[in-house]
Amino acid sequence: MFRHTPLRYAALVLLIGAALTQTFTAGYFGLEILIEILILGMLVLALDLVAGFGGMVSLCHGALMGVGAYAFVTLNVLVGLDPWLSTLAAVAVTAGIAWVIGAICARSHGIYFIMATLAFGQMGYSYIFESPLFGGDDGMGGIDRFDLTSIGLDLNDSKTFALFCLAVLIAVYLFAAAILKSGLGRSLIGVMHNEKRMKALGQNTWRVKADVFGLSGIIAGIAGVLAAQHILFISPGMLAWTVSGEALVVVILGGLGTLVGPLIGAAFFVVLKHQVSEVTSHWHLVVGVVLIAVVMSRANGIFGWIEARYGAWIDRRLTDSTRTETPEEILTDA
Amino acid sequence: MTTDLGFWTLQTLNALQLSMLLFLLSIGLTVIFGLMHFVNLAHGALYALGAYIAASVASVAGFWAAIIIAPLGVALTGVLLYGGLIQRMRKSGPMAQVLVTFGLIFALLDLTRILWGDLALAMDTPALLSGQVNLLGVTYPTYRLFIILLGGVIFTALALTLARTQIGAMIRAGVDNDSMAACLGINVERLFFVVFCVGCALAGLAGAVAAPLLSVTPGMGLQILIPTLIVIVIGGLGSLKGAIAGSLIYGFVQTFGAVLAPQLASVLIYALLAAVLVIKPVGLFPAKG
Amino acid sequence: MKFTCTAALTGLASLFCTQMAAADDIDVGVLLPFSGVYAALGNEIEAGFTLGLETFGSDLDVEIVLHREDTEVTPATGLTRARRLILQDDVDVMVGIVSSGVLGAIRDIVHGAEVPLIVANAGNDEATGADCSPYITRVSFSNSQVNRPMGTWMADQGIGTVYTLAPDYAAGRQMIDAFTAAYTAAGGTVVGSDFTPFQQTQDFGPYIAQAQASGAEALYVFYAGGEAISFVNQYDSFGAAEGLPLYGSGFLTSQLYVNAEGESADGIVTALHYVPTIDSPENAAFVEAFQAANDRLPSEFAVQGYDAARALIEALSTGANDRESIATALRQVSFTGPRGLLSIDPVTNNLIQPIYVYETVTGTDGMTQTVLAELPAEADPANGCAMPSVVSN
Repeated sequence: MFRHTPLRYAALVLLIGAALTQTFTAGYFGLEILIEILILGMLVLALDLVAGFGGMVSLCHGALMGVGAYAFVTLNVLVGLDPWLSTLAAVAVTAGIAWVIGAICARSHGIYFIMATLAFGQMGYSYIFESPLFGGDDGMGGIDRFDLTSIGLDLNDSKTFALFCLAVLIAVYLFAAAILKSGLGRSLIGVMHNEKRMKALGQNTWRVKADVFGLSGIIAGIAGVLAAQHILFISPGMLAWTVSGEALVVVILGGLGTLVGPLIGAAFFVVLKHQVSEVTSHWHLVVGVVLIAVVMSRANGIFGWIEARYGAWIDRRLTDSTRTETPEEILTDA
Repeated sequence: MTTDLGFWTLQTLNALQLSMLLFLLSIGLTVIFGLMHFVNLAHGALYALGAYIAASVASVAGFWAAIIIAPLGVALTGVLLYGGLIQRMRKSGPMAQVLVTFGLIFALLDLTRILWGDLALAMDTPALLSGQVNLLGVTYPTYRLFIILLGGVIFTALALTLARTQIGAMIRAGVDNDSMAACLGINVERLFFVVFCVGCALAGLAGAVAAPLLSVTPGMGLQILIPTLIVIVIGGLGSLKGAIAGSLIYGFVQTFGAVLAPQLASVLIYALLAAVLVIKPVGLFPAKG
Repeated sequence: MKFTCTAALTGLASLFCTQMAAADDIDVGVLLPFSGVYAALGNEIEAGFTLGLETFGSDLDVEIVLHREDTEVTPATGLTRARRLILQDDVDVMVGIVSSGVLGAIRDIVHGAEVPLIVANAGNDEATGADCSPYITRVSFSNSQVNRPMGTWMADQGIGTVYTLAPDYAAGRQMIDAFTAAYTAAGGTVVGSDFTPFQQTQDFGPYIAQAQASGAEALYVFYAGGEAISFVNQYDSFGAAEGLPLYGSGFLTSQLYVNAEGESADGIVTALHYVPTIDSPENAAFVEAFQAANDRLPSEFAVQGYDAARALIEALSTGANDRESIATALRQVSFTGPRGLLSIDPVTNNLIQPIYVYETVTGTDGMTQTVLAELPAEADPANGCAMPSVVSN
């Protein structure tokens, strides 16, 4: 099950500290990168929730984020609904669609699950791409950020918007952790480890999967609304499978099933991509080689590697002092 | 909509041609998966590599040399990949494999850009296969018939190898249960290596054959990856029957979808994939139950 | 003129360049795709732009500082990079933009921040129509500008019926719509049309067979890049030229791709704003200089970059030195270049230029073009553009 080890707490505090430092020291572009990381962070949390704790490796989470963004812009800009109401509705729509996809795909496993979710994602992409109602491949603009001037915040200021996104990311993280600690989350992890046993215990396993997929859709929807407000422009490219693929890479890179790891992965991936593309237009090559190198290190991503090292260190210390407390507790979730 | 029989014959040939091209690509991928449980997302990148090698070779040595050297070149790349990466990855979980093959896609994409540039390349059809022939009352491009024929030949050869030869029996045993096969004294590791290289060679062959038909661009591997995955998942992983069935379904749905329901052309195949997985969650003809 | 820094290689270097830039330097943001599917176009435009700066910038008394940014193909990336140029690098003028999606995405910030933008490719009609801005000046083409004259010309040639094909995305539809409107107005009939899934279509065979079965006298298509090569090869392999001659928007047989198409492209008649065989002293000089520098013939994308540089320098040589004065000066630019006489339409800020109908033919070394007709320069209709004037105080 999911547990907050001291190491995870430490990593979270460090990440928040780094984000705050970046917020108050970075220039314009540094803030852009930070916001990109924060929003990608939400998406990968949503994905880690289903992939890392439910074995549901989804290739439609990018599309779900896109649905959130498109629903928000459609309601807010085209229909003229109140932005908060639009957000609520957009998140609800995304969660609903996610629940249905989760329910339909729940019977498939492994690569079949990946492909089934891919099919739904690509259907959404093709539909938006060719639909004149949603601007087709031209996309849509005219988006405004939330108006928080009543409480003295101007979100059009990059610094304020970055802080706002950080606050939302923290809330989303707590939400995801709460799901995992709830009965539903425990059932989900049980289903991942042994679906037959959970069924025998009387669990409605597809229902568990669909529910968590729907909850994950809430997070993806929130990420979509914020992505639309960050860029102030949306285009069908947001829904393309490559976005989902990149999110999956970030989750694995950071450490699948650790919740903290994917956040580290997001920061690492975005910074790497931008730094390398400053130097060369062949950034794909460098990123590709880094990905291969991380896998060859045989760890569960960056954070998985840190946890393994930390676990080994604790292990040694415990043996040295001949204490009887089991070190397994730290290692189990890695 | 025309009721002219010739028109429908022509479209059927078009569908067969697309099916066979996809078959050449998907058979390698599906057998590698069935035998080694390895998801090689970089299969599309190997196809692109085959097309680039073929285009370069053809410009100096002609089509027939290209169509032989390209599969060999890609198979050699396969040997390097197997020795350097895949072998060590065999025991890692599927997630690590997704990550490493994604990394390979990125790396190979930029390597082709560095080696061959951003501009699209092309490859001429050989004199023997250019022009058209009359068949079943329609005039059809000879080169497309060649692709259909090649697909048929490869299919028959693989089917015979799998059903009648010793190595075929070993592969079938390996797909069924690799640890049991190893207990029976089959050198599973060597089997994996051979199958992986043959799969790569077939991807290279597909690239070489596709080059005169399509254009050779850095993005072609990524573009073909999704159709290939759809084919093997609809058909069911690991089986020859699945690969050919999936290819035919894809080819016919795409071609006749374009003719009969052009507005739905791009959504149709995804809807079909979703439908198949809802009804049969492991595809139509999976290697294992 | 000297280049303080031709390319901002690293974040550090770009910071360095910005600090070097004195008050009377002109900071120019270059927004082009250097990776992704349009990388070839980005490189071609940059080659033309660099040549243009070298050719025309020698007696300019201000220094031009370039800030190079990769837009990839993604509107989001393009927008982020444009914001960086405007807000962080504080550029005086921006040049580039290949994809219409990126142009649509950055339109509002360019207009809002009042930064002049010279569009060197993206052809969506809206940019100089409903979404026009006094800060957006286009020196490339508009989708309808390239296709409209061909509709009239084909009808005048006595071609009574056509079938149309194009990829299913905004530009594809705009090109075909503009052609269809002009063609039917001139008395022709479009007997059928298909839009193929964009960048997902491997086999054009089914569509070509449809067109052949329709009984149309000719086929009119728009395809670009890799799709153009695939389409031309497959059209040729069906032997469709006999009975269904191929016409199209000139991007189909662009100089950039025509050698990959080879003899399959022989006999295709298309219309475009530039081909390297235009017979004029200006073009001869340009082709020679471009070949010397890049060892290949220039395409329409190269000339767009070249003319973008020239428009910029003409504007600067009037003494314009900040965002507002450069925007005003750009709108009055007019010169005779490789494409002929060019001027900016004051109503829409789109370029007014002649369109060339040309046939692709097999030459002694590779494919070449024979210009069949030079159609007179014609301004686009305003298309809902109500041009606000640059506020000067």
